[in-house]
Amino acid sequence: MKHVSPLQAVENAPMKAPTRRALAKQQTRAKVLAAARRLFSEQGYEGATIRDIAAAAGMSTGAVFANFSDKSDLFREIMITDMAALADSMREASLRGANAEDSLLKIFMAGYTFYKTQLPLARAAFSVGWSPEDGPALRRAPPVHLLNELMAEALNKGVATGEIHEGADLELRAHMLFETYLSNYPQAIFESWSLEALEARSRDQIRILLAGARKA
Amino acid sequence: MGSSSDTIPTELSAAGATAPPAEAPLTARQSQKEATRRRVMDAARDLFESQGFQETTVREIARAAGVSVGSVFTTFASKYEILSQVMQDRLDGLYAELDRVIPHLRGSTADRLRTMFAVHFAFEVRHKRLFLSYISATYDWTRPASSTPMGRNRRLMGSIGECLAKGVAEGDVDPSLEPQEIIDLLMAAYVWTYRLAAWDDADADAMTEIMDRQIGLISQGFALRS
Repeated sequence: MKHVSPLQAVENAPMKAPTRRALAKQQTRAKVLAAARRLFSEQGYEGATIRDIAAAAGMSTGAVFANFSDKSDLFREIMITDMAALADSMREASLRGANAEDSLLKIFMAGYTFYKTQLPLARAAFSVGWSPEDGPALRRAPPVHLLNELMAEALNKGVATGEIHEGADLELRAHMLFETYLSNYPQAIFESWSLEALEARSRDQIRILLAGARKA
Repeated sequence: MGSSSDTIPTELSAAGATAPPAEAPLTARQSQKEATRRRVMDAARDLFESQGFQETTVREIARAAGVSVGSVFTTFASKYEILSQVMQDRLDGLYAELDRVIPHLRGSTADRLRTMFAVHFAFEVRHKRLFLSYISATYDWTRPASSTPMGRNRRLMGSIGECLAKGVAEGDVDPSLEPQEIIDLLMAAYVWTYRLAAWDDADADAMTEIMDRQIGLISQGFALRS
């Protein structure tokens, strides 16, 4: 069964034919988003200004602000689009897992593979995500919740197959798995770890985090 | 495996600590410079905490410190360097505290780890925003390449490494595990607890409680099965 995320559900909902004006607006947004994605990747979140982004998109800063309330709104939109796509590929990866441990590893690896070619953008996302000002809005975005939820689902699958104890503090364990998944990005970003190195590390980490939850 | 495992555990006690200045009398000029430095760091720490690192300009720091923008820049290369020095200054105090506590730790490895992290939270609880700003800034492009990315704090990682080594010696930590992997798990839990705390405005007790539970789960994974 194909899972339909809330975001897809909105996209798939029947829509009235867009007006010419709405189409033009959509094109403008797409142009701004493409330029912003490139500049955030090249200069980081703080380094890229709305003025630079407008210039790269070939429009005025006013036109950018007509579509996005501020830079953090613009960045969040890029991340939300990516994370929704990532959540889908993580879900598919998880379904291929032979058991809870394997599903979790496949979820981790789907993430590292997704960002392997866009580590500068991931780096910008960490800078925003940790910021006490802009972090909460990004971290509370629905797709982040979806990624988190996937960890919990993999654990619950383990409960269903009798691999994992039901009462083993699964909510906290799912959070820790998600944070552990995120915590390996610095190695990928700053130390150029390969996917193989990330996989070996993740496998061990997942084993340690699951040890106390396993049925004897 | 892992290229970072070489940081543990030998250079810990010295790494990260700024060597105390040699005890030579300061010239008037030096002590003037030191006073400026002190004032800039105090003003910056308060502004970073109250309004955030990105939102604070060097001009505001200079004004609050009662010095010129020019003299801020003769002492610090960038705003990032001020943040980095403010954090280093705090960490020196924290590790002096930790060095006093560690020799007296008793109990299981998990309990000793819990106390170590509790010391951190008690020390840093009033500066959660500063802490998060520091982590955030390490990912920014403005960070000088030489500075240590957050989460790779050698002093803390070293202390954890020693604690685990003691656990191996005393028989409650599985010696077949790679210490760096356990350290990384604990560090991930540690920094996550700050974020949680900053957003929910948790106090040191609440941070310690959630960290204690996380250490409990991780210790189930490193416990030696008899």
